[in-house]
Formats: sequence, structure tokens, C-alpha cells
Amino acid sequence: MDSEGSSPPFFDREKHVVFLQMMNRLLPLDYQAQEINRLTLAYFAISGLHILGALDQAHPRNDTELNRQFFGFHGSRSSQFPRDDNGALIHNGSHLASTYCALAILKIIGYNFSCINSKSILTSMRNLQQSDGSFMPTHVGAEADLRFVFCAAAICSMLENWSGMDKEKAKEYILNCQSYDGGFGLIPGSESHAVSGTGGATYCAVASLQLMGFIEDDILSKSSSSSFINVQLLLDWSLQRQAADGGFQGRANKASDTCYAFWVGGVLRILGAYKFIDEKALRRFLLTCQSRYGGFSKFPGQLPDIYHSYYGFSAFSMLEEPGLIPICVELGIADIAAIGH
Amino acid sequence: MERNEEDEKIPISQRPEWSDVTPIPQDDGPNPVVPIAYKDDFTETMDYFRAVYFADERSPRSLHLTAEAIHKNAGNYTVWHFRRLILEALNADLHEELDFIEQVGSGNPKNYQIWHHRRWVAEKLGTDATSKELKFTEKILSLDAKNYHAWSHRQWVLQALGGWEDELDYCKQLLEEDVFNNSAWNQRYFVVTRSPFLGGLEAMRESEVKYTVEAITANPENESPWRYLRGLYKDDTQSWVNDPQVSSLCLKVLIAKENRKSVFALSTLLDLLCHGFEPSQEFIDAVDALKTPDLDLSDSNLATTICLILGRIDPLRENYWTWRKSKLPT
Repeated sequence: MDSEGSSPPFFDREKHVVFLQMMNRLLPLDYQAQEINRLTLAYFAISGLHILGALDQAHPRNDTELNRQFFGFHGSRSSQFPRDDNGALIHNGSHLASTYCALAILKIIGYNFSCINSKSILTSMRNLQQSDGSFMPTHVGAEADLRFVFCAAAICSMLENWSGMDKEKAKEYILNCQSYDGGFGLIPGSESHAVSGTGGATYCAVASLQLMGFIEDDILSKSSSSSFINVQLLLDWSLQRQAADGGFQGRANKASDTCYAFWVGGVLRILGAYKFIDEKALRRFLLTCQSRYGGFSKFPGQLPDIYHSYYGFSAFSMLEEPGLIPICVELGIADIAAIGH
Repeated sequence: MERNEEDEKIPISQRPEWSDVTPIPQDDGPNPVVPIAYKDDFTETMDYFRAVYFADERSPRSLHLTAEAIHKNAGNYTVWHFRRLILEALNADLHEELDFIEQVGSGNPKNYQIWHHRRWVAEKLGTDATSKELKFTEKILSLDAKNYHAWSHRQWVLQALGGWEDELDYCKQLLEEDVFNNSAWNQRYFVVTRSPFLGGLEAMRESEVKYTVEAITANPENESPWRYLRGLYKDDTQSWVNDPQVSSLCLKVLIAKENRKSVFALSTLLDLLCHGFEPSQEFIDAVDALKTPDLDLSDSNLATTICLILGRIDPLRENYWTWRKSKLPT
């Protein structure tokens, strides 16, 4: 990291707020390739500002405009089509991740959830669950894995209605995703991993179980044989993800990356084991990924992006950084949003 | 289908073959959230895509258009979905499609939609695609031996289409290149447990333990083979506890007295003790030799001593080792 104009050695909240405000106003061209997931980007911006204690500085009124629903939410208006000759919206297909992000945003801004057509969202969602318990994100055919099990569980939790999924089947699928080393893969058989693309496999597994009510409060004190997942192995694997540089890695023998401070830190938090990490060392690492322009990058000394920034802020919230508000780890939004205004 | 970059530069509105189509613009509303600074050509391509998708026009020109849209944004799952419908309607050559995917994928090795599309094509081609898919994933892995998508796809190919014969050798080769490659260890586990040619985990355990012990002995600080070793005894902890190869491996590493490299040996020994392993004097002596004067070892048994030592030599997890100590049976 260069000493000329580098980021200060403390969490630079003001700069981060400015960074998100800029993103909120206009995302650079580089984000063109992620435009189908604009709702996810909006979630990062809005939830990020909320965690930083600066929600009032997001667009106040206009968030609800993006949240139009057709049995679920789209990622972006680029995939929205006018009604056909019969007045039907058949070309519009919702996406579970977008639905999750939309509901999260609505929770954050205190939207009245009784105005939401929960029934149609949940019915549609039920049809996305596969026979092995996993979920596909869209009806038009896509990969099915743990990321969408998490989205489904989070949606049910926020709508306070579990008719959208068969919890037992989902639990079974999650169980089949636990790897021989204790972590979870995105699908049965795959390498256990804290994150892949847009979600953390192990985070998705544990957060889903927590939301569905399958994780007892004092799970660490129970003997390992009483739990349906191998908790001891999971705990050991997760703690081992904190590397010598203080940061968290996604898999064994890989480089530390900002976002895993949330994905793996979150797992430990849910298990009641966050106290076992070295918080000072983690803070030190994260600050090397803090950009002098605001935001966080994946690795030290790189340019920031909104995804790593959001998870950097979430990680600092878990570290109880002054000025940041506490988060509900398993939902990925501030505690106060999760509980309801 | 060759990509013609020159053609793609001419605005679609100026191409005669598209003169009959009215593009459908995107309606972001008056105050969009997180607007993106789209390039003009991106906007235009998507406007025309919306038109043909809405009209459900499954034609060759639509196919070309989806390729253009994909080149500009490979993440749009609606575009990929429609491309699949067109490919089916036109009964297109799917081997050519594999080439298209390879070309698009080379710049986007971590894009979910591309890999999903690849799987869809391979599924349609069936065993005709087996060797091509194994070669393709091998190519991607030669650039990034830990690409999660490539590994997932490769696992799917093996399970759906076969090709297991050389997989264990492939893992061996990758581990020779980098014994710290956790993905390769994971794949090895996958092959050993699921290959129809190898007889399953229990049948393979003996030879795999030998292989793993060698790997650990060479690099005791490598987490991957330690986890793999434990995995070889999945659902059979007693065998793991009772197998002298496991405990003597720990002993061997500890006797070498390299603190930095002893963490996994110590934690494994701790786990063995917690599962009923009865240590001989050799173990007690070996752990004893790792003690530092600052440790308070009054009232300590072997397990407690290990926890205290781990607290010193693995300081990141000091709180964890303290907790483990508190959980030991008195």
C-alpha cells in the first residue's frame, strides 16, 4: 500500500457514505455487465447506507418505484416487458435473488408489508423448489443451489410465512451439502467454500438453518453427536479460515478477501463463536482493503467495488465499529429493519 | 459461429436486415435507483433484443442478436434463456455452440450463466460431449486450478456423462503441481467416494491414507491433507481414532519440533484424545518438548497441555483453544 494518499488507519465512515451516495446516484460503466442484478446493487447501496447510519441520504421516495412486483421481483427493468395483446405479462420472469433484495430494501425503508402480495410470491416460490430440496431462482431454467435456498428462507422469514417452502426438504439438501472438511459446498459433492459469486455457500447453509429455526441457541455447548450437521467440524473449519494476515479466506490455502469477513464471520456469529476470532487482526486486515476513495476492495491496495464495500461495512458492524448500526446476520440487513419499525 | 466484430460496430438501426423491427426501449421511470451509465450500443442492442423476445421471433437473426447481447453482458439470464429457445427451434449445431461458449467464457471464467448454458448444451449432446467437456474444464483449470465453476461442471460431467477412468491420475497430477490446492484434494475425495471404478471409500482408505500421510509429512502446515485424512474416516470416527497411522503421523510431526508446522498435528491429537484415544508415553514426551516456560501447566493432563500450547503457537485462535480447554472432561 503506498504511503502517499493512502487510506487512514481507522474506519473512514464519512468517505464510505460519500462512496455509496455516488454509487446510488450513478454506477460507472463497469457495472454494465451486472445490470440484470440492479436490484442487488440497489440493496448494497441502500442497506450499506443504513448500516453506516446514513439511510436518510439514500433516495427517499423513489425506492419503491423500482420494486414493482409480478409474483416476485425482477433484477432490472431491462427484463421487464409491456403487456402482450391479451394484457398478460407473460414475458416477465422474477428471480429469487431479486425478490430477496427487493424485500430487504422494503424492510429497510419501513414499507408496510401488508401491502405486499405475499400469497403470489410464496406460491410462485413453492414451485421453484426442486425434489431434492434445493431451489431454482427462476422458472425459465437456471442452476439450483444453496444460494437460492437462502433467498427462499430469507423471503419466507421476511414475509413471516413459511408456506413458500418445504423446510424439511430444504434442511435435507443443506445437510447433503456439508463437505468432509466441515464447511458447505454450493451443491452436494462440491468443495466447501465460504463464498462463490453472489453468496457464501457455508453462510447460505447456516443462515438458512438459523432462519428456519434448526439451530439451537446454545448449539456449541451441545455434544457433537446430537446435531444433524457436524458442528464441531464446521466450527473448526470456519475458525481456520482466519489467515495469518488477519483476514478471512473463502477456502483453505487461498488468499484473504474482504467479503469473507462477513460470510465466515457471519457463520461464526450465528453459531455463537464470533468471540473466538482475533478481532484486532481482522480489523487490521480490513483496513488495508479500505480505499482512500471510500469503499472496500477485495484485496489490499486495489480499487473498491460496491460488493466488497457492502460486506466490508457489514463486517465492521459485526466488529461493533462506533457509528455503525448492528446487523441481523442471517437476513443481511440491519437488526432494526429485521425487527420492523 | 465466428464473431464478426466489425459487423457488431454498425448500429443495428442502420442494418438493413433489421429495418422491419421496432426496438422496445427500457423504461426506468422518472427517478431510477442506481442508474448505470450504459453505453449507447448496449442500450440499442437490448432495445432490439426486447423486441424479438416480445415477438418470440426464433430466427437466425435473433440468434445473432443474442450473441451480440451476450458479448456486451454475459450475465443476462433472459437473453441466455431465449438463446436456448432459438437453438432448439432452429435445431442448431450444438458442437458449434460449445465453441461459442468457449469464446465467450474465456473472458468470463466465473460467470454462472455461461456455465449453466454450457451444461445445458452438454446435457443435450450427451456422451458425445464427454471428452470435450473434460478437456474444456482442464483448460480452464490450467489457467486457474481453483475455479469453482470449472470444478462443479467437471463433477457434473463425470456424474452425468462418465469419464472417471483418468480422474484420479488427474488429481495426482494437479497435486504434484501444487500440493496446497484444496480444490484438487476435494476432487480427489469426490473421485475416491463416487467413481464406479474404484470400489468406494472403505476400499480405497488404505491406499489413500498412505498417500495422504506422505503429503502431510512433506508439508505438515498444509491444512488440506489433514482435512482429507479426517474425511477418509467419515462416519467411522472410531476407525480414525484407532488407526495407528493417524496417531503416529501426529507423533512424527511433533517430534520434528517445528512449532509453526505443528498446529494441525496438535489439534488432531487433541481431537483424538477427545474421542477416547489413549496416548502412550511417547506422545506425552513429544508434547512436553513443545512446552514454553511461561505456560502454567499445574493440574494439566495431556489434552489441557495441548490446548495451552495451541493458545501460544496459534494465537489467532487463542480464545478458541481456551474454550476447548474449558470443554474438556475433568
